[in-house]
Amino acid sequence: MLMALIKKEFLQIIRDPGSIIIAFVLPLICILIYMYGINLDTPSVTMGIKSDDTSSEIHSLIKSFGNSKYIKAVVYDNKEDITRDIARSKIKGAVFIPQDFCLNLSKGKTANALIVTDGSEVNTANYVYAYSMQIINGWLSSSKYAINLRTVNKSLINVQLRTWYNQDLNSHYFILPGSLAITMTLIGILLTALVIAREWERGTMEALLSTKIKKIHILLSKYVPYFILGMLSMAFNVFLCMFVFSIPFRGNIFVLFFVSGLFLFTCLGIGLLISTITKSLFLASMISVAAGFLPALLLSGLMFPISSMPKIFQYLTMVLPPRYFITFIESEFMAGTVWNIVLINSVYLSILGLILFIVIYKKTSLRLEN
Amino acid sequence: MEIEKGKITGLIGADGAGKTTLLRLVIGLLVADKGEISTLDLNPEKQKNILNTKIGYMPQKFGLYEDLTVIENLKLYADLKNVSHDFDKLLEFTDLKRFQTRFAGKLSGGMKQKLGLACSLLGNPEFLVLDEPSVGVDPISRRDLMKMVRQLISPDTTVLWSTAYLDEAHSFDTAVVMDKGKIIYQGSPHLLAKTAQEFEEKVIELMGGYKKEESLVAKSYVPHDIDMEYTVFADNLVKKYGDFYAVKNNTFKIKKGEIFGLLGPNGAGKSTSFKMMCGLSKPTSGTTKIFGTDMKENPTKARSYLGYMAQKFSLYGNLTVEQNLNFFAGVYGLNKKDKQQRIDEMIKSFNFEKVLKQKADELPLGFKQRLSMACAVMHNPPVLFLDEPTSGVDVVARRDFWNHITSLAKKGVTVLITTHFMDEAEFCDRISLFYRGQTIAIGTPKELKEKANAKNMEETFINLIKESEVKY
Repeated sequence: MLMALIKKEFLQIIRDPGSIIIAFVLPLICILIYMYGINLDTPSVTMGIKSDDTSSEIHSLIKSFGNSKYIKAVVYDNKEDITRDIARSKIKGAVFIPQDFCLNLSKGKTANALIVTDGSEVNTANYVYAYSMQIINGWLSSSKYAINLRTVNKSLINVQLRTWYNQDLNSHYFILPGSLAITMTLIGILLTALVIAREWERGTMEALLSTKIKKIHILLSKYVPYFILGMLSMAFNVFLCMFVFSIPFRGNIFVLFFVSGLFLFTCLGIGLLISTITKSLFLASMISVAAGFLPALLLSGLMFPISSMPKIFQYLTMVLPPRYFITFIESEFMAGTVWNIVLINSVYLSILGLILFIVIYKKTSLRLEN
Repeated sequence: MEIEKGKITGLIGADGAGKTTLLRLVIGLLVADKGEISTLDLNPEKQKNILNTKIGYMPQKFGLYEDLTVIENLKLYADLKNVSHDFDKLLEFTDLKRFQTRFAGKLSGGMKQKLGLACSLLGNPEFLVLDEPSVGVDPISRRDLMKMVRQLISPDTTVLWSTAYLDEAHSFDTAVVMDKGKIIYQGSPHLLAKTAQEFEEKVIELMGGYKKEESLVAKSYVPHDIDMEYTVFADNLVKKYGDFYAVKNNTFKIKKGEIFGLLGPNGAGKSTSFKMMCGLSKPTSGTTKIFGTDMKENPTKARSYLGYMAQKFSLYGNLTVEQNLNFFAGVYGLNKKDKQQRIDEMIKSFNFEKVLKQKADELPLGFKQRLSMACAVMHNPPVLFLDEPTSGVDVVARRDFWNHITSLAKKGVTVLITTHFMDEAEFCDRISLFYRGQTIAIGTPKELKEKANAKNMEETFINLIKESEVKY
């Protein structure tokens, strides 16, 4: 019985050019747009400072970082912590100051410094670098070493830049994988939001309900086909990213598909819930765009960093599945499997997905009215 | 109400009387607020699951998947009912064999209904529930549906069949008449009346009777004084889709004040002709003239003479009755003084007083049709095009409609109308019988009956269609 329903659903998918377009053509368009049309800005980021130089002048430099409107500086004692926090995106970069920094400056020699940025967010990385440079140079010209600036006819500070995870600072490296989240949201929410509403509107639900169908049949016959369609589209996307646009993939392909599966499961839940409640195609499509697609695009951290949003929106993003998925997919592509991220995101996505499944089950009625 | 086992029970009643709700209650799709129902000794509220294995239900919208083929629909419902995929007998009987691989959405109305019925008949249900399976269906397909049910069910299958056709109900074992949510008659239709005609009168009486009053619409109609014998011309109308002729050489002319009926089976090309006549669809060749104005040359002027009522409800569902009337009066460009006067006349003529503030979507079907009619005659048009105005309308409302139509015609309005009710065809002055895109007979009802050697219009219809089929 379930197989019959699933088979029917597949036939409908194949016959509906719309769903094929959403699953396979739209991602291609999305990717092309993301390739050539994205430019972003960040007003405020947190970065780390680690200074091996103990001289008193350094404190004023650290203070200058602290005084900046745009940068929040956190002082670190060891490099491992910095590495860990950059990997977790707690800080977006770090400045390393070597032991002989002030000593060299006072002798009128060139002092070295190192700036590390997180290349998985290209714009933030550029921004961290530019502001750090500005602060260091500002500090230098107002410090007691400023005299040497005029006497020594060369640059006093030599800053080296290291970009982690995305050495080429290619924004496509994170935006293209991120666009997977958009596509999966489209399939998961937009397409499925229509399928139950369609049965109500065309009157086929009334006929189905007069057979010995069970609730679980209705639910699974909607989940399974669209899950398969979504995963196929996901595979197609990954293929495009990796082999057509040559985006490096540092993670584990099984982990990637496992977490993507969980994400899709959650999205299907949102879509089917909308469909079950509204029972009308027009309403369902409007709500799914407003509640599913737009937040995935605007509030997931893909286009606009969450840290730069007003507080209330930052809290709002905590309940949005795409936010978790985007953190995961960006790190999976660029930094490799970070088990912490995988674990947190999978747990959250499975719980939300299960809750949605249960709510839909409760909301599904085998009668025309409750 | 009690329904006897192994009998066919017909359910009839006015629009919005609660027929569909009753059917849904009986099979457990809805739960009653009060009272008890026992279906096949089961409680539909608590034992819906067991009950569902024993019933076949055909909802008003048939429940077909339009993007699946005929055979795929049958297979799906067979699997849902756990019965074998042996459809030979059904396909043979419904004549759907040649359309097996066609999408259900591409079938003609009558064929869709047959397929819907076939799906509900799968698995030999003990109880068959059909919600207006024959609405909007031509007489031939209606006969087929009836034959299907009578021959494909086993002798002890119980059937509950709701219908707007009283001749259909008259042929059943039992008839149940509903009005305003209550059952007002239950018993053998033959005991109530011997013939279908008398049965109709009796049912109207039960429903409070119909009193013929002067049609206010016709009374307030201002005749256009144009001296012209034929006001509507259709000259060699052709509509071709690819290699397929939807309409082939349709020619007729209609006299001023004449009621001209366009009859034919579903999919014969009536609606296509209609759309070309009012300039909504461009003919492949040929033309129409309304009041002497060519529809191709001056569509705006030609259309200004027209009042058109589409087959599908095409007013604004989320506007109230009053707002709809106001809107159409505005669209027709009536000036302020005339506008209010005309709207008031419409409200009075069609008894809209009580529903003025109600949204058009929430109206019973009969009232919707009245509202469509009101909007079509609002601007005092000398020509009226009505496409199945009485489909799904109850018998009393239909009489009311025809009262307006005939009264308007008497004042010189030319009417072109399509219908599936053969008793209505008798009211037409002349009829064109349309089949496979062509006119196969034209004449007064009397002439046609003589030609077909039949005693009523239904027989005439069937005979003439069969005759033309033989010629092919």
